[in-house]
Amino acid sequence: MSWELIRDILIATVPLLVIFPSLFAFTTWVERKALARIQNRIGPNKTGVPCTRISLFGLGQPAADGIKMLFKEDIVPRGADRLFHLLAPIVALIPAMLVLCFLPLEFPWAKYIQVPVQAFLLDGAVIFFFAITGINTLAVFMAGWASRNKYSLLGGMRAIAQMVSYEIPLVLSAVIVVMLVGSLNAADIASAQEGYQWFVFTPWGLAAFVIFFIAALAETNRSPFDLPEAESELIAGYFTEYSGFKFALFFLGEYIAMFAISGLAVTLFLGAGEGPGVATVPALSAVWFLAKIFALISLMIWLRGTLPRLRVDQLMAFAWKFLLPLSILNILLAGLAWHLRGQGTVAQAATWAASLLILYFTARVLDGLSRPQARPRQYKYAE
Amino acid sequence: MNQETAFWILSVVAVLGALVAVRQRNLVHGVFALLLFFAALAGLFLLLMAEFIAAAQVLVYIGAVGILLLFAIMLTERVTGEGKRIFSRGWLGGALASFAVLGALLLPPLRATVLPAHAQPVDPSVRALGEQLMNPYVVTLEVLALLLTAALIGAVATAQGTAKRKGAAK
Repeated sequence: MSWELIRDILIATVPLLVIFPSLFAFTTWVERKALARIQNRIGPNKTGVPCTRISLFGLGQPAADGIKMLFKEDIVPRGADRLFHLLAPIVALIPAMLVLCFLPLEFPWAKYIQVPVQAFLLDGAVIFFFAITGINTLAVFMAGWASRNKYSLLGGMRAIAQMVSYEIPLVLSAVIVVMLVGSLNAADIASAQEGYQWFVFTPWGLAAFVIFFIAALAETNRSPFDLPEAESELIAGYFTEYSGFKFALFFLGEYIAMFAISGLAVTLFLGAGEGPGVATVPALSAVWFLAKIFALISLMIWLRGTLPRLRVDQLMAFAWKFLLPLSILNILLAGLAWHLRGQGTVAQAATWAASLLILYFTARVLDGLSRPQARPRQYKYAE
Repeated sequence: MNQETAFWILSVVAVLGALVAVRQRNLVHGVFALLLFFAALAGLFLLLMAEFIAAAQVLVYIGAVGILLLFAIMLTERVTGEGKRIFSRGWLGGALASFAVLGALLLPPLRATVLPAHAQPVDPSVRALGEQLMNPYVVTLEVLALLLTAALIGAVATAQGTAKRKGAAK
């Protein structure tokens, strides 16, 4: 292996391994502060620069938490499967980190790369993204099963059911963009949206973006879909038996997965790195990309502070009876609109209005049909 | 040289994964070893420049089949315990039968096809694959889709049938 190749690989990967974990540390602070504000508390405000009285709004909290996690005792339950208990957090973190390289993030130092080693230049980058994200489910199962704890296993099973269900609307809403661009290549998808032709500005693109975002929330176990880690029902779900640094790895993996899936949403619907000033200063592209990711993360935090958790039956009904039919209809609409494209502004406006109306009414009807009815409870197995 | 090293690493991982999957008494460990084998296979596909096949391998086998196997194990009672026999009584006959099927499937095409002396240039892109699927092989694709739909409906019908019978028995 030549030195140039190794150097190029390092240039392409090391920034991802530095930027996203630091963003994670910052996000935990933002989340604690924002949730505290929503709940009329103050949040962390003491930890700042060590050995001084400078507190910096509690910005030192992530570092203090990290050090605390490192020094905590690592407890493994007696009946646990020691190998899988150790492997689960690693298997959770690696795919999350791996998919980051499928995001078309154009860093300013990318121009020093001579061999095109970036993974987002692959022909099937988007399908690789979905394939590797799916491995996360296995890590959740591993953790739940290896802990030999009822609550962990229940949380793990809930997580698998939820992730498998919501992966379908997630992929189907991404299919629209792939269909309209005619490529699975992330760089192609980014360049197809140049000139502020973002897919979120079309009716089907908007619907697909909303479906994608909701499914992404469920896929990353974020509130209101955080049933696998429902504290009040399952203690903490699949990572109940994890402490210390293994717990920190789970935590990190979860947030990196959030960044990755937000990054995919930005790539597919929000014009990737496009923004004011990119034409003159190309380095701004990466800044805009990260800023858009952070905007989506903030939206997730806001939702967490606002919405209560769903019930299991509501969760499943919502995925299979609402999101799935709606996203299939959306694909049909997008295909139809693609065939009717480029026939004057009036025709285009009519197509847009018609598809918006169809989407709206379908959503209303499906909403009425898919809500679980309040019936007297029937016990299947406990009679 | 790099590719050769990668090939050897992936092959060793694949063979070890497959062996552990067959020999492991703990079923969940066995499933994960099988998944390791699938992952190594995806790596081998990637080495052959078949990116789409590699991605599909990860998506279908690790993402879907693996989860399905785990669900099946979780929903079946008393299969996770230690000390289960891993060889059934008729293993010799089974092995012979499977080798016979493999030979019957492989031999005729092997004897009929003349392998080209030089490698043919192929276009490994996703676009070429899609055009092939949509143009010459579209009927095959549709028949496969129909078959899968039928299997899906059949599975639902079977599951509902047993549930109803149980309800009637009560």
